[in-house]
Amino acid sequence: MEQENPQDQSHEHRSDTILLPASTPWPMVFALGLALLITGMVTHWVVSVLGLVLVLRSIFGWFFDMFPHEQHVAVPIQAGVIEITSTRTTRSQLPVGVDHRKLLPIETFSITAGLKGGIIGGIAMIVPAALFGLIRYHSVWYAVNLLAAGGFVHWAGESDAFLAQFHLHGLLAATAIHGLTSILIGLLYGAMLPMFPRKPILTAGFVAPLLWTGILYSALGVISPILNARIDWLWFVISQIAFGLVCGFVVNLQVKVRTPQFRALPFSVRAGIHSDQSHKEDDSQ
Amino acid sequence: MATPVLEAIDQTQAPPQGPPRPNVIYTWLTTVDHKKIGLMYIAYALVFLLVGGVEAILMRIQLAVPNNHFISPQVFNQLFTMHGTTMVFFVGMPILFGFGNYLVPLMIGARDMAFPRLNAFSFWVSAFAGLLLYFSYFGASGLYAAGSAPDVGWFAYAPLTAKVFSPGHSTDYWTLAVFLSGVGSIGTALNIVTTILCMRCKGMKMSRMPLLPWLYLVMASLVFVAVSPLTAAQIMLTLDRYIGSHFFDTQAGGSAVLWMHFFWIFGHPEVYVLVLPAFAFVNEIVPVFSRKAMFGYPAMVAASVSIGFISLSVWAHHMFTVGLGAAGNTFFVFATMVISVPTGIKIFNWLATIWGGKVIFATPMMFCVGFLFQFLIAGLTGIMLSAAPFDWQLGNSYFVVAHFHYVLVGSILFAIFGAFYYWYPKVTGKMMSETLGKWHFWLFLIGFHLTFDFMHVPGLLGMPRRIYTYEAGRGWGGWNLIVGIGAIFQVAGLLFFVYNLVRSYYRGKEAGHDPWDAWTLEWAVPSPPPVYNFAIEPTVNSRRPLWDLKHPEDPDSDYE
Repeated sequence: MEQENPQDQSHEHRSDTILLPASTPWPMVFALGLALLITGMVTHWVVSVLGLVLVLRSIFGWFFDMFPHEQHVAVPIQAGVIEITSTRTTRSQLPVGVDHRKLLPIETFSITAGLKGGIIGGIAMIVPAALFGLIRYHSVWYAVNLLAAGGFVHWAGESDAFLAQFHLHGLLAATAIHGLTSILIGLLYGAMLPMFPRKPILTAGFVAPLLWTGILYSALGVISPILNARIDWLWFVISQIAFGLVCGFVVNLQVKVRTPQFRALPFSVRAGIHSDQSHKEDDSQ
Repeated sequence: MATPVLEAIDQTQAPPQGPPRPNVIYTWLTTVDHKKIGLMYIAYALVFLLVGGVEAILMRIQLAVPNNHFISPQVFNQLFTMHGTTMVFFVGMPILFGFGNYLVPLMIGARDMAFPRLNAFSFWVSAFAGLLLYFSYFGASGLYAAGSAPDVGWFAYAPLTAKVFSPGHSTDYWTLAVFLSGVGSIGTALNIVTTILCMRCKGMKMSRMPLLPWLYLVMASLVFVAVSPLTAAQIMLTLDRYIGSHFFDTQAGGSAVLWMHFFWIFGHPEVYVLVLPAFAFVNEIVPVFSRKAMFGYPAMVAASVSIGFISLSVWAHHMFTVGLGAAGNTFFVFATMVISVPTGIKIFNWLATIWGGKVIFATPMMFCVGFLFQFLIAGLTGIMLSAAPFDWQLGNSYFVVAHFHYVLVGSILFAIFGAFYYWYPKVTGKMMSETLGKWHFWLFLIGFHLTFDFMHVPGLLGMPRRIYTYEAGRGWGGWNLIVGIGAIFQVAGLLFFVYNLVRSYYRGKEAGHDPWDAWTLEWAVPSPPPVYNFAIEPTVNSRRPLWDLKHPEDPDSDYE
């Protein structure tokens, strides 16, 4: 923060006063008039008439507060010195240097990396889901309709044969649900993977899908009782792992972009002349 | 070691305080100063908080034991209607507008709001709306003879509001008061948006603006979108009742569900209108008492804006039990669940700000920690209710009442209390008592959890909301008694708060201009601030301008 240059100071400062809008009763009178105008609807018309009078008078008064010139009052400045100080200091505990502050992350994935990962992972997930339908019910549409059934309450009592048939509404609903969820999870992968740089395959391919499966296992009865009643958890885990491996792979393929923190690094580091030691030390710990 | 910096932002000291002048009332009635208007908003909201609180206590006495007839069913209907309407329109919104009025110009380095006279008008019209609502107790020609208050619930569902079911004027009082209040809300929202967009000081780009003005910007934008449909609906309902139009008259081709859509397209964003300022308070308090900069400022801004947008697409989750059809259910279930993503980002960022910080558990921080825990629980029960099948079971039960009171009391009111303790020294120049503050916190916390944790249980056991009394043997009696006992603890906590407010004003320690060693611009001016706020317009180079001044060896501006 800087003090204003004395040469830039306006006339009002030099004269030791500041012009502020003058007090006025008309906004309050206008509000009272409006309230009375309306109150007449539930009491007596005379109240409305009184309100109308106040509204008209206050409009008149307010108008002449503003025209031809807005009413101002000059408030004198009562100057004194205020010291902006702190009893705390950073100096005694943390020596100022290149690694004085954590500057992480200096690189991350762009949003499009998460989008791509989510879309391609979502496509990959279709393969084991379709296999499940083919092997168990001889139809690729079973898994599609089962996912869509969460939105169609009247499908709760339908047979497996019904779910194995093609239904346009089911396909549209399942596409919307699967597409939206895949993109959201893909975005989450894009945000999270830089936080776990060492074992991306384990994190993206197994840990995250198993955690997600665990959450859904406990919550699916509430979210979609129909899906919960018919789901095959083994095939579900396989499809989740397929999503995780492909999405994680696609996200990791993307080029990382620099975060705003990168700009805070010394020029020599940004120019590639020196390496960012603090960042490497953090990674090695 | 102190790091004195003589390069002060403002060189103004507080004006000497003399005895009250005879024209002091006229001064307050005619003021256009944003600080005075903010204080009037807060005082007026506190008065209505007292009124709404008394209404709640009366309801809890009535429900504390089975087969109770402490009050009549008619009075009970009026109480829950007036309690809900008062707390949302005449406590929640005014108190948050009050803090916004007071703080936004100070935090962005402005001398006043963009439209000072509109600001005064907005306050007064809101104040008269509250008086009009309560005048119904004296002036109405209502359903139960002269002097009856509205009794149709705070959401006033059609067709109950039709003239044939609600004769007299009790419902008209509700309609007109809420309409007037909406006019004031839109005026203040217009002022907040314009002030933030047009009156920031030099150097304060949007990316350097403190989070409080950011959240007030989102909140005020939501007010435009949310309050307008409600205002339109009030006009339509008034036309139905006065000139016999049929917008909501189901027997003449109107639609009761249309009212529900109108009401909830206001009602759900309204929750975020109330909670976003609470987030704003926490955003300011948590970093200062953790001695760290806010973690993930851009993510916090993005999450706030996302919440603003998503909150406009979730209203019909209040209508699952109406029967929306499969497509409607699916959309609103997912839209409601999606809002947990930006909200979760906020919770993680607050935790990350506290994590590793040198946490100071002063009273404002304690209320914020309470907020964090309780907001999380409120969010979790919200996700439960967002699932349509779950909502079909528990819609209109006390589980829902417990859920939204967890949001309104456990989250918003706790954050507001934190804000009181944090900015009271700026407003009055005096510190609030920490001892009394801790008493307030612990009593209110215990009372809150006794009341609203246990309120979930009768809901799960099937107790419907708005029920006047219940038979013994339903299994609800014990739970309701505990809920009522919790209310006593809350009242005790509130008494400590009120005593602290008054006592500290007269006997509190001198606060100085920056008692918390904070970093935003309001702490660079005297306490209380002079009428013009800043003698010299400040210039900022980072999101924490006072940090830069206090620590010139390591300014934030090097990193942003």
